[in-house]
Amino acid sequence: MSKKFHVIVIGAGSTGTATAHDLALRGLDVTVIERGEIASGTTGRNHCLLHSGGRYAVKDHEGAIECIEENMILRKIMHDVLELNDGLFVAVDESDLAFKETFLAGCEECHIPAREVPVKRALEIEPYLNPKILAAVQVPDGVFEPYRFCLSFLATAVKNGAQALPYHEVVAMKMSGNAVAGVRVRDYRTGQEREIDADLVVNAAGPWAEHIAAMASVDVPVQPTPGVMVTIAKRLNQMVINRLNKPADGDIVVPQRQTSIIGTTSWKVENADAIPIPQDHIDKMLHMGELMIPAVRQNPIRGVMAVARPLISKPGTDERDASRTFECFDHKYDGVENFVTISGGKTTTARAMAEKVSNIVCRKLGVEAECRTRDVVLESYRNYYDN
Amino acid sequence: MKLNVKIYRYKPGTEPHYDTFPVEVPETANVLDALERAWADHDMSIMFRHACHHASCGSCGLLVNDQEKLPCVTPVTDYGEGATLKIDPMRNMPVITDLAVDASVVYQRMELIGMPIIRNAETIRPDKRTILPEGLETFGRFENCLECGLCLSACPVMATDPQFLGPMTLAAAERLLAEPRGADVDRVYRLVDDEHGVWRCHSSFECTEACPYEVDPGAAIMRLKRKIGMRKLKRFFGGS
Amino acid sequence: MASDVQPKPVKRKPIEWFNLKGKRVGFWAYVGMRLSAIGLVLYLFLHLAVLSQLAVGPTAWDNFVALAKSPIFLLLDVILIIGILVHGLNGIRLSLIGFGIGVPSHKLMLWLAVILTIVFSILSALAIFSETH
Repeated sequence: MSKKFHVIVIGAGSTGTATAHDLALRGLDVTVIERGEIASGTTGRNHCLLHSGGRYAVKDHEGAIECIEENMILRKIMHDVLELNDGLFVAVDESDLAFKETFLAGCEECHIPAREVPVKRALEIEPYLNPKILAAVQVPDGVFEPYRFCLSFLATAVKNGAQALPYHEVVAMKMSGNAVAGVRVRDYRTGQEREIDADLVVNAAGPWAEHIAAMASVDVPVQPTPGVMVTIAKRLNQMVINRLNKPADGDIVVPQRQTSIIGTTSWKVENADAIPIPQDHIDKMLHMGELMIPAVRQNPIRGVMAVARPLISKPGTDERDASRTFECFDHKYDGVENFVTISGGKTTTARAMAEKVSNIVCRKLGVEAECRTRDVVLESYRNYYDN
Repeated sequence: MKLNVKIYRYKPGTEPHYDTFPVEVPETANVLDALERAWADHDMSIMFRHACHHASCGSCGLLVNDQEKLPCVTPVTDYGEGATLKIDPMRNMPVITDLAVDASVVYQRMELIGMPIIRNAETIRPDKRTILPEGLETFGRFENCLECGLCLSACPVMATDPQFLGPMTLAAAERLLAEPRGADVDRVYRLVDDEHGVWRCHSSFECTEACPYEVDPGAAIMRLKRKIGMRKLKRFFGGS
Repeated sequence: MASDVQPKPVKRKPIEWFNLKGKRVGFWAYVGMRLSAIGLVLYLFLHLAVLSQLAVGPTAWDNFVALAKSPIFLLLDVILIIGILVHGLNGIRLSLIGFGIGVPSHKLMLWLAVILTIVFSILSALAIFSETH
């Protein structure tokens, strides 16, 4: 019987939990280490949008194609925890209207099913839409709930033998020469520290990836880039409402239970913990939101949230242009063995990110196992607590 | 706005105590923001559960000044400038550390009842019709119940009977009986018509007060009691 | 999770019934039911003990009746009536809502029960103290 390799995954957000699931399915021994509650980092506070890819169909074909493929896969593997009401891209002004043909062409090229909906019909379906919209295009957007998204992957991974360690923070890498041999963790339940050995460590720590990588003396170009979202205390739309134009701040309104969430903005920070929320960003969200759904001003704000995206920074780029597709860094190229970082991306593409990093992990360890995550239907998220 | 957060601290094997930290947050902040500020500025070993920060995941349930709250949507202005917020973990669940509880009971009970988390969305149109876009047979949405467990924390019967199904579970059962969607109705009745089911409820309505999402478990349990009563009556008189 | 570290188990104590911190009116009604129930059960045993004096003989009974007219006893009678009102009126409320009747107005019913309890307790007290001789 061949040796069962032990892989540590640092971070239990969408990337970490999907990676744990993929690796566990391939027969590896996995330990997921998370400093807080599952999904308490970036994934928890994301906009909950299951992207159709329409947003990227014009400027970022690679990103758009990734989105629509993953969208369809997630509908298959976790359909019990998704709101599948599609989305509308609406034109509010002449500039938006002029963008429509480019948008439809982009969707076609990326194989995103997009169909134009007559304005009258759109207003019938969505009664709170700005009555002055000039056009509407329907796309297969959806809505997920981030905690349950992560729990679904993690529940399946645990069922297949993985171990989850929330409330444990990685404080140091255990090195053996120039190779990572494990981690040193602080167990916040007791305050004690201990070492956990591993054959390989995957850094899926989102905006904290640089902090983790530094423990192995390597650098990863991850720039914490937060965005603000404003939750309105009334469900004003059933479909996701997007602005029909190039991506900009505050151009998406996502329904979530009995609320509607307007998002988002973008700015760079040094420290990704407890980011102070600028009031002008909140104002901007309300302003942009009301252009598509005027009633956002007439309902109370239920809450405001912000958390840092882990954007792969390329020097000299604007935040909006930094690629939101993901990157996997095999640190052997930095002189450190048994250590990889997976960063960037979005929750919609978590499974694809996991596939990519798991392929690299298996190749490095000499494990021959195909990825099966496209087809394996996930456990109920509730089963994570089945102990 | 300046506040003090007085946080319950517990590590297994030691005696619990409170740590108090001053924080400054904007007027528009919620209690969870204040807690996060205390964590980031003063002591990053404070453990507390949170994920979505917009009352959808249900993970951040806490006691604030002895009342069950979802801190992510509880404004700090409810407490006032200079107030001290005493923050405790939820009741009736084992405490893992500090404010983080083992919420297994929440998910295990919901799985026991078998309530799906996605339901048909009600129409949001003023004329009550539902008009669907092409290709969609129905609009769906997440159920109202966040599975946050605040009602289980607030319920005095949960404090004394570990086997009591609890308000959340019973409300879920009532919801399932209202719209079975293929569920085994007899099985649900057997679960709730039990000494640890509806009959343990003594109508304190603390669950309804605690619920952050208008599930009103208290009322749901009363409706469930009536349903069970009527069913028994019909069977007694030879119906089914 | 490492199984060597156990979470703090839940403390289950009936004394928690009487922890009123942060609780609201529905809970006070719940506590009131329990306290009045205990009181009424104790009263039942007391009542039987008193009635057993009848079996002892006419002198024993007359002695008891004299005691029963003392102010302390009259006060206990008033407390008994308050207990009966609290338990009975709230009991009606609970019976109704237990059948799913009037649930949205359960707080209204509770305040009604409180007002009726206060009114009839005062009336009873007046009647008892003035009529007894």
